[in-house]
Amino acid sequence: MYAIETQGLTKDYGRGKGIFDVTLQVPQGEAFGFLGPNGAGKTTTIRHLLGFIRPQKGRCGILGKNCFDEAAEIQRHLGYLPGELAFLDGMTGKALLDFLAQMKNLKDKRHMTELIDRFELDPSGPIKKMSKGMKQKLGLVAALMARPSVLILDEPTSGFDPLMQNRFVELILEEKERGTTVFMSSHMFEEVARTCDRTAILRDGKIAAIEDMASLKNKRSRHYVVTLDTPQRAAALRLENFEITSREGARVVIPVQNDVQNLLRQLSALPVQDLDIRTPTLEEIFLCYYGGDRT
Amino acid sequence: MISLPLFKRSLFSSWKLLLIFFALIAMYTAVIVYMYDPALAHMLNDYQQALSGFMSAMGMTGAATNLLEFMHIYLYGFIMLVFPAAFTVVLAVRFIVRCNDSGAMACLLATPNSRMKLIVTLAASMLLCITLLLGLATALGIFCGWAMFPGELDIGRYLALNGALLLLHWALCAFIFFAACVFHETKWFYLAGVGLPVLFFLFNMLGNMGGDLAWLRALSLFSLFPGASIVAGTADGLWKLAVLGGVCLLFFPLGALWFKKKDLPL
Repeated sequence: MYAIETQGLTKDYGRGKGIFDVTLQVPQGEAFGFLGPNGAGKTTTIRHLLGFIRPQKGRCGILGKNCFDEAAEIQRHLGYLPGELAFLDGMTGKALLDFLAQMKNLKDKRHMTELIDRFELDPSGPIKKMSKGMKQKLGLVAALMARPSVLILDEPTSGFDPLMQNRFVELILEEKERGTTVFMSSHMFEEVARTCDRTAILRDGKIAAIEDMASLKNKRSRHYVVTLDTPQRAAALRLENFEITSREGARVVIPVQNDVQNLLRQLSALPVQDLDIRTPTLEEIFLCYYGGDRT
Repeated sequence: MISLPLFKRSLFSSWKLLLIFFALIAMYTAVIVYMYDPALAHMLNDYQQALSGFMSAMGMTGAATNLLEFMHIYLYGFIMLVFPAAFTVVLAVRFIVRCNDSGAMACLLATPNSRMKLIVTLAASMLLCITLLLGLATALGIFCGWAMFPGELDIGRYLALNGALLLLHWALCAFIFFAACVFHETKWFYLAGVGLPVLFFLFNMLGNMGGDLAWLRALSLFSLFPGASIVAGTADGLWKLAVLGGVCLLFFPLGALWFKKKDLPL
């Protein structure tokens, strides 16, 4: 039995919006990333998993149960962090957490307290006055406090500063250790790279690829931006074993996967004025490895 | 079948609102009972003749020969119809419409409680709130009558009148609840869940004025309130109560089922 499974999941909102034939399986205990640019259909897929909407075609299940019809049973084992956080009106953070604990029938609040400490969250104030980052922490505590065996997180670190992002990564790695299945959507490659075993890449509502994180990291090249002394020299530049993807004035861009030594050796003979290294964006990963047919 | 924590929270979050509406109703009730005076009744009868259209639109017609008739004429044509209905609309917005609109419903659904259980809980909360409001208003009416005109008020008929009023407001509540379950965009909810009750009330007002527009009353849910026949002690309004009960039995389950099946905008 898979922790999360979708089969040909389709919801067509017209004009190319929606998700189309999304099929994926996440075994129990795996951390699964769900990467895609904004508007690719990540949240739509998650809304199906939570049972908020019904598939037009296909089906989806969590722990062998139907996501729409058996949502309440699934929720016994599920922790969910929405992408757009909205809480009930007029409550303090503490009141909300206590209320949700009651709704989840959670008696033992030790883990809740631990999480609050860990994220340095002060839940005593009214939620209305909280910053985006604080609300995000509150949402994470609510999602994790009942020790779920499946976690679904929609853009979990948006609103976090780098320090909190690190704490979040630690927490996810610990959850993985405990055997929790994690399903995490993101539009940032790094975030997924640090936590997930595998990732699906979603584009225009379709799954473009499902990759092992390790092999994706290998495939991923870095872009070396080299500035030479004159545009003429840049235009004439040829390198052994490397391809030059763009030339602009005296600058050239060279994608490099691993053979850095070789590149540096060749560059050392040239009048290099500047050298800059860029990590490619999600879009560039698409362009490199999943066809450049994106229009 | 209902979620106790949610039920408690819903009630707790609306007690201030309940007090405000009760204060409004209490003020009018106290003033109207205070104004009861056979001599004043003559003056109001004069008003009815002078401003016949306006007074009858408000349902304020007929000569009052006792306190109950007086209260029926001057409270149950407008105040006791409109204020509790407005209260119900605010409850529906708070409990259901705004939760769907803001996404806070996701908070509730991300707990091991089925949609059916949640929506039944919210419906029960609305019903209890409106019942509490009318219960308090009834108690206050009895108290005012007892304090100012001991022995004047026919308690039995007064209770029957308020029982029928409660049924009317349950039926309205059922209708507004249904609209809140069906429409998740606030503007559509207001159009259906508020627009139609207002239209019902306008039909009732225009119908009350009589003449060519009397037929409009037949289109209004409010005309199913058999106030006059209860006050008069006749039983010819019973079928109206049955219809109101039918509206409840139809629209509450229909709304809940709709909510269970639909795609939520979360």
